[in-house]
Amino acid sequence: MANEKVDVVIVGAGASGSTFAAVLAKAGKKVVLLESGPDWQLSDLISSDIWGRRVKPAGAPFLLEGKNPYGYAYQAGWGVGGAALHYFANFPRLMPNDFKVKSEHGRGLDWPISYGDVAPFYDRVADDLGVSGDAKAEERWRPPGKPYPMPPMKTFKNGDVWLKGFEAVGIKMAPAAVGMNSVPYKGRPACIYDGWCHVGCPIGALANPLVTYLGDAKKAGAEVRARSTVTRVLTNAAGNKVTGVEYFDAKKERQVQEASVVVLAAWAGQNPRLMLNSATDKHPKGLANKSGLVGKYMMAHFASGTFALFDEDVENHMGTVGAQYFSYDRYDKTTHKNAFGSTFIVAGTAQKTSDLGGFANARLDLFGPALADFMKKAKRGLTRISAFGEEMPNIENRIELASEKDAFGMPLGKIVHSFDQDAVALWNANFDEGLRVAKATDAKESWSARGNQPTIHLFGGTIMGTDASNSVVDSFGQTHEIANLYVAGPGMFPTEGAPNPTYTIFALSLRGAERLAAQWSSVAG
Amino acid sequence: MDAIERRAFIKGAGFGALAFTVGGADVLLTPAEARAQGVPLRTLKPDEAATIEAVGETLAPGARKQGIANFIDQQISIPAEEALLEARILNVKPPYANFYRAAIGAINNASIARHGKRFAELDAATQHDFVDQMRQNKLDGWKGPPGPFVYLVLRSDAVDVVYGTMAGYASLDIPYMAHIAPTKRW
Repeated sequence: MANEKVDVVIVGAGASGSTFAAVLAKAGKKVVLLESGPDWQLSDLISSDIWGRRVKPAGAPFLLEGKNPYGYAYQAGWGVGGAALHYFANFPRLMPNDFKVKSEHGRGLDWPISYGDVAPFYDRVADDLGVSGDAKAEERWRPPGKPYPMPPMKTFKNGDVWLKGFEAVGIKMAPAAVGMNSVPYKGRPACIYDGWCHVGCPIGALANPLVTYLGDAKKAGAEVRARSTVTRVLTNAAGNKVTGVEYFDAKKERQVQEASVVVLAAWAGQNPRLMLNSATDKHPKGLANKSGLVGKYMMAHFASGTFALFDEDVENHMGTVGAQYFSYDRYDKTTHKNAFGSTFIVAGTAQKTSDLGGFANARLDLFGPALADFMKKAKRGLTRISAFGEEMPNIENRIELASEKDAFGMPLGKIVHSFDQDAVALWNANFDEGLRVAKATDAKESWSARGNQPTIHLFGGTIMGTDASNSVVDSFGQTHEIANLYVAGPGMFPTEGAPNPTYTIFALSLRGAERLAAQWSSVAG
Repeated sequence: MDAIERRAFIKGAGFGALAFTVGGADVLLTPAEARAQGVPLRTLKPDEAATIEAVGETLAPGARKQGIANFIDQQISIPAEEALLEARILNVKPPYANFYRAAIGAINNASIARHGKRFAELDAATQHDFVDQMRQNKLDGWKGPPGPFVYLVLRSDAVDVVYGTMAGYASLDIPYMAHIAPTKRW
């Protein structure tokens, strides 16, 4: 079934799709967002780790291979709001050194833009969504940018008890910048520090898409169609323009949505899968894939967690799930001898009992009566810090199509991912330093949260660059080969830096969407 | 509006208990209530449920009474996209029943090979030792999903039913502080 042609069809209603939708709908364009999952409302965001899993991925799974298989399900999205419906809302910026890794170190890749190109959009996003933080306290690292629109969040003992340890090892901490309201902001209430951010904030104190850009987009006339699974991007006979998308609706009936512009904002995992599955005789390797780079250079963060157990009540049920303090003091790519990559450090987090981040998992080796004893001790005195590490882009880390197909006949995606020796060395170095920090606090016990090296966030697969010989898209997300096909989200990052990515995703999406609106006639005409 | 008032203001908009079938009708019960009322299993066979209960109780004391077998049975009997199992975020490929059947089979086969009995028939000390060996991938001849992963998934389920509910928080004297509380204290 064909639907009335629209100006823009956006695949995915998460952080990046919502931003494109808000900008383009406000510019008077007819916008349709197609989202494969449910149409979540704030009232669906139940405060429970168990019930919170409903907003995590379902549908066609990814097949996972490599030495460090990419564990996507905890962090990806499912439904309207995407992963930003349940993200931690840490809002650190990338640093200038993230944009020139190849130039400065002869490894990795360069971005085709600099920090200065993105900085104004960080500021704009902060104003639009609301960011709490203390820019002055960040002066030792923070590149140019406006102060945050709200003062920093409250801190709790579960964060404060670490400051002595950080000071002892020479790491300066600052109040974390977060996409949450420390005070009422734009009609949304202030946070009440209940620590349920990771299953979705139903009061709107946390800047999820439903209460920010997606809400703006809908007010401006954008239409959201949930349970609409896109399987192909369609092109004209010449192969030089996209004409819309094919999707399956809630009744599993095939639909076609024609559009003047297509924006793929379905996450770093799904975008390459869609582009590869949209191959035609004019694009035999997949859309915009003359370079063969669609699906390549997948990257993940990894974290080195350190737990500490205090005698005192550290109020670990209170706060937010992101961070109370952060630091870029280990952000230089060559901070640690025999390792390479930036490290971003966070401290202070509310902890719940169960789920991946719950305190039952702080000692995975314990079970039976020993676990019961540990839970009683941990319920008041347990707290943790995390150091996030940067993985360099490696062309062997990739997404490709598998032979197995989903319910709509679309090949499943297969993610192949392994960390290299630099990433392993950085992970280990950050464990060592985390333990030194913990030993310098008043904790009675501390330990490293070692296990399999975790994979956190997902980047790459549709990286930006200067031309089709080295990349899939330009810095605005426009594909080099098809002018009216855009890609948005973390897939554009040629290197990942070390901080949480969503603030940068919002900033890049705002930049790309405004450019598209400004050049509409030449792109869509 | 202060914080506590706001919490109360928005409470109760969600749904909470799971749908169990009793006498041909769907009723909302917690897994513990389902177990106490003898709600029939939908997917697991009785011996499979017995294995789940025995492993769960070994992992987190109280899991049996809190209805771990009824929880898993109900969850693997509904569409994967509705499932609340931690398996979902541990990248287990649906349908989840396949994983649990394979895990139960691996546990019982290894238990019989090692002790001549199914896991549920072992004494508590032997069960504890078996799980400790499974956790460390040290059970000879293990056939099925990796032992440490089976440990992780089933331990997560046991932790969910014992500590992850509102009742579990209350048992540890931890303030739950829901924005939107799951009903029936689940």
